Amino acid sequence: MSPAISVKNLSKAYRYARRRGGFFEAFSPEHVTIEAVAGVDFEIGVGERVAIIGPNGAGKSTTLKMLSGILEPSAGEASVLGLTPWKQRKALAYKIGVVFGQRSQLWGELPARESFNLLRHIYDQEAGPFARRLGDLTERFGLADLLDQPVHRMSLGQRMRCEITASLLHGPSLLFLDEPTIGLDVTAKAAIRDFIREHARDHGQTVLLTSHDTRDIELVCDRVIVVNQGRIVVDQPTDQLRRRFLGRKIITFQSAGHGVSLDLPGVTRRPSEAHATILEVDTRLTRVEQVIAAALADGGIEDVTIEDPPMEEVIADIYASTHAT
Amino acid sequence: MRRDLTAAVVALRIGVSQGLSGWTVLAGRCLFYLLIMTVLSALWDKVAAERVAGAIPLPAGDLVLYVLVTEWITLALPAVHLRFEDDIRSGGLEPHLLRPKAYLLQSLAQSLGGTLVRLAALGVTALAWLAATGRPGLEAAAYLYLAVLGVLAVTVGMLLYAVAGLCAFWARRILPFQLVIQKLMFLLGGLFAPISLYPDWLRKFGEATPFAAHLYWAGVQALQPSGTLFLRAVAWQGLWILLLSLLCVALWRAGLAKVLREGGV
Repeated sequence: MSPAISVKNLSKAYRYARRRGGFFEAFSPEHVTIEAVAGVDFEIGVGERVAIIGPNGAGKSTTLKMLSGILEPSAGEASVLGLTPWKQRKALAYKIGVVFGQRSQLWGELPARESFNLLRHIYDQEAGPFARRLGDLTERFGLADLLDQPVHRMSLGQRMRCEITASLLHGPSLLFLDEPTIGLDVTAKAAIRDFIREHARDHGQTVLLTSHDTRDIELVCDRVIVVNQGRIVVDQPTDQLRRRFLGRKIITFQSAGHGVSLDLPGVTRRPSEAHATILEVDTRLTRVEQVIAAALADGGIEDVTIEDPPMEEVIADIYASTHAT
Repeated sequence: MRRDLTAAVVALRIGVSQGLSGWTVLAGRCLFYLLIMTVLSALWDKVAAERVAGAIPLPAGDLVLYVLVTEWITLALPAVHLRFEDDIRSGGLEPHLLRPKAYLLQSLAQSLGGTLVRLAALGVTALAWLAATGRPGLEAAAYLYLAVLGVLAVTVGMLLYAVAGLCAFWARRILPFQLVIQKLMFLLGGLFAPISLYPDWLRKFGEATPFAAHLYWAGVQALQPSGTLFLRAVAWQGLWILLLSLLCVALWRAGLAKVLREGGV
């Protein structure tokens, strides 16, 4: 079976004019070229769920834009579902669904139902199959009460459920997700991750996701491509990456009195503030609940926050590790 | 093509829904229309009543009715230029480019939908104002002519503003383009007074511009309703709708090529 996505030596360089000081220099700006993506190669099989991760400016979004057809590369080749994205953008649009976590594709003042209806005509969908698909998604995503509500009155989590529904209504076989859980609370994030994973599994859908949240990657994707400075640093199964790099949590304890001091394996203290103790926990050695239980037993705890390490740190670890070997 | 047009009709219907859902804003626009007409009718009634010897002769007919028509069209216009500027400069264009239907046609159809709602609401307001002030209305035929010319006029105006909005692909701000178009609508379109008041050479020039197609040719029906003038107006408006549409498509294609190449503006 041919891959859903095949990329060979794909590159994108942006060129912009940098103004120099002085009157005459303003008429002869210096041109600067930035290589956002520098010759990446990869293949994604049909039904695979793959995450592209990397720090800001690593080239994730640029890659996603080229693969969805809204950006022409400087060099290289790509085939997405048998089409060249930037040459066959409209034909590809019928086959892919795209969700931008920070941009809405719905019409804010209108009820979601009307937006969905317009999308039916935009994607030339027959009424019967469309209604069935909308019915399924409505039931699966619990949208029944939201369909007649104007989108701008929805919470971010509710809106994102509608955004994902909108991207699936034409039955795409490939889903691009750019930061789909950004800004959502824990419950909404969990609902969206579960939905994406189960929907893709049930429909044999290929998923390509970018995110800053390591939980999105762990819970949705079975393979991770790490990019940095436009190049692929690591391309391996999520399980393998999790074992090596994603097994850490950052726990912050707020206390009125003395700081928290624990002697547990895999727990290290990070630079902390007067009434906040920040601990880094290697969850392979000690579970989060053990750390919290121990801290509570110590007394004086007023608040607890559990976070993943920032993506930049994870990438730095991966980068350091791959360059050390 | 047929499916593109079907999608555009649905977008137009969405525009109508949006126009109706924002009824409070629409009501505010109608009240503003009443305020403007109160001021302008007082001015033109005074000018008509106290003619100055040696002044430019006023055209036949009631100039208040002329202004009633031009303001009806002006107040119905959509802010399509601001929408284009926002989408182009904020990256909001991207979700639209990922769809198989043309953003330009969809957006214009949607804007036209809202415009038709405003045109209808302001039309009813104009009739109510005429009835409330006891001013003699238009000839029966003029209402029919204006129903057609009004729709064509707002289409011309919307396309003029669309041209300004599409300049956002190259200009940091479209405000200067917007101001130029507004001023030319005022001067060459004859917003407050018909361009027949101008010297002959300027009148002839003005009549051939898209700004007259936007305002003057509809307004003149309020002064002297005539089938011949109606047909001439439709011809000018049709010509400018065609030319401006072609210009919008050319700008869109050039701008889109830039975005696809450079990834933004």
